[in-house]
Amino acid sequence: MRTDEKVIKEVTGIQAADIEAALDPVEADGVYRDSRQCAALALLSGATKLLLSPPTPRPKKG
Amino acid sequence: MEQSGTSTRLQAAVQDLASGVVSALRGGDHAHVVPPAGTDGEAGDLALAAVRVLGADALLPGLLSRTPPDPAELAVFRKAVEAYPPRADAAPTVRWSHWAMARTLRRADPSSAEPPDEPDTAWLDDATWQFVTHQLAVLAPLALPGEDCAVSRLAAGRPVDVARGFVRAVRRRDWRQAAGAGRWLTLLPGVPDSVGLEAGLDFVELMGGQDPLVALQVQAARRMRTGARV
Amino acid sequence: MTAPADAHRTAGTLRTAAGDALAWADSRRADFALGEDALAADGEVDRSWKPLGELAQVCATVTRLTGPADPLHARARGLLDFAWQETREGELFLRLQRLEPFATYPLEVYAALASAGLRHPAFEQAAAVVARTRGWRLTEQDPTRRLGVLRAEERCGIHRFGQAPPELPQTWLGGLPEPWTFGRDAGYALTHVVFHLSDWGRDASALPPDLVAYLGDWLPPWLDTCLEAGLWDLGGELLAVAAIVARTTGEDIPGSDWGRLLEARGPSGEVPLDDRDLDDIAAGPGSDGDRYFLHHYHSTLMAAFAAVLAGARPAERPGAGRRPGGQGAPA
Repeated sequence: MRTDEKVIKEVTGIQAADIEAALDPVEADGVYRDSRQCAALALLSGATKLLLSPPTPRPKKG
Repeated sequence: MEQSGTSTRLQAAVQDLASGVVSALRGGDHAHVVPPAGTDGEAGDLALAAVRVLGADALLPGLLSRTPPDPAELAVFRKAVEAYPPRADAAPTVRWSHWAMARTLRRADPSSAEPPDEPDTAWLDDATWQFVTHQLAVLAPLALPGEDCAVSRLAAGRPVDVARGFVRAVRRRDWRQAAGAGRWLTLLPGVPDSVGLEAGLDFVELMGGQDPLVALQVQAARRMRTGARV
Repeated sequence: MTAPADAHRTAGTLRTAAGDALAWADSRRADFALGEDALAADGEVDRSWKPLGELAQVCATVTRLTGPADPLHARARGLLDFAWQETREGELFLRLQRLEPFATYPLEVYAALASAGLRHPAFEQAAAVVARTRGWRLTEQDPTRRLGVLRAEERCGIHRFGQAPPELPQTWLGGLPEPWTFGRDAGYALTHVVFHLSDWGRDASALPPDLVAYLGDWLPPWLDTCLEAGLWDLGGELLAVAAIVARTTGEDIPGSDWGRLLEARGPSGEVPLDDRDLDDIAAGPGSDGDRYFLHHYHSTLMAAFAAVLAGARPAERPGAGRRPGGQGAPA
């Protein structure tokens, strides 16, 4: 069958290009997870933020 | 980017091979890191290609422990060197990787041919510290005690840059790059102490060590830190 | 990268960026204004006193590092006067202290204005009385914040004789940690240690040499990864730290890092806090002005602060003539 032929060709077909790609990889994308924060438990923050620390974006109440 | 089926299988074979190197570096058996020759057909092709991709590190355990290489292992290694020479337009890392294999072959078996002339390092002349570190990490098999080639000399001239690249790689969770850079840092003079390399290697292993290619670099770095020479 | 023409162009670009950022802040005076709940028991201090204090802090440094004829100087001076008027020339600090005598933020905000010469002697006297208590001195705070309070006390003439500040070694930066352990919170802590030690960039030489060397080594990967992650606010703070360090080492401006930060700016030169919710917020400055302000004001002030510090280096005597012929034309 044509499909089988194709699979076999893929299995055996290690090309120089595959090897060269493996030997010259592009850099992986950076993975960041810096955004989550958990305030100290049971400590009120509010007015205790560092001067010139980042603001907490949230809409004003009412 | 989606990988082709071939490329996925090749990566898997490289990982298997790397696992063997890791256990050998950890002090286990190292006689059968490289699969025996004589496997024909697709399995043999794949195994041979995997040796070419893993490169000189396929023989690293024997080299570091100064154990004479297993003749069958050496034969496969030699076959990989001969079967996959770099093409004329190959990337510098491909050429250097091949050169490193030829050099290692010569070390393991002095009756082998002289390695070809060294490729140059012009592609790194004005490179940023980010790019230098990435390329050096890809060429981590060249990070060996006492190695003297253009790439190792270039690395020796940029210890702070490689250390910055290590920090960047850890921040980006690129454990392979971090491990490769960490291996270089064990060898380079002039790395700032504040980088905390020993803890850094432990951390990279903790976070990325399930990948044999990461574990291999970390183990190699540790062996070299304890004074192993080639 | 280091060619004189490039450096000149970068300096010009940074000047323009600082001008745009301060102009944006100037156009948002209504958002910086204290409002009626500034003294209210349930008033949100982070929405009132904090932004005003930050505006004053940045402008105090800008006026110090620019000459009186410089438009940046005039803009910053105008904003300082505005901030001072908002506090009714310091009177509100006194009233705030009566309401919350052991809160440290009134003193911290006041110190920013005092560093620009705007002072209220009665408040300073009142603050000194409270600061003599053991309770005030034992206020529990993060070491980095503690350092800031100590600096604010000194600015207001309150000295803890015979007590060397023990806070520095307890901070993340003071311990010279492995640089790959850097993260967002550590980043904000370290930038503030540098700001406090260097008196907000006005005295870069006060940074201990081991910190300068450490920062010189590791700022590049921190900057690179923060900017890649779209942490524009922290990126701006790190660029300010880099500029402060460079005032002592004479290093080049990290031009490519600056380029990435400036790329992230909004239509009027304002810088977003980070990339989160940006599509939402950036639906337009007019659509939800308050939210837009809160997502931009701090990072924009930081960008102005960092750009002025970068343009003013290497360290010179305050008010001395700057960069002859180097006043970049508007880009």
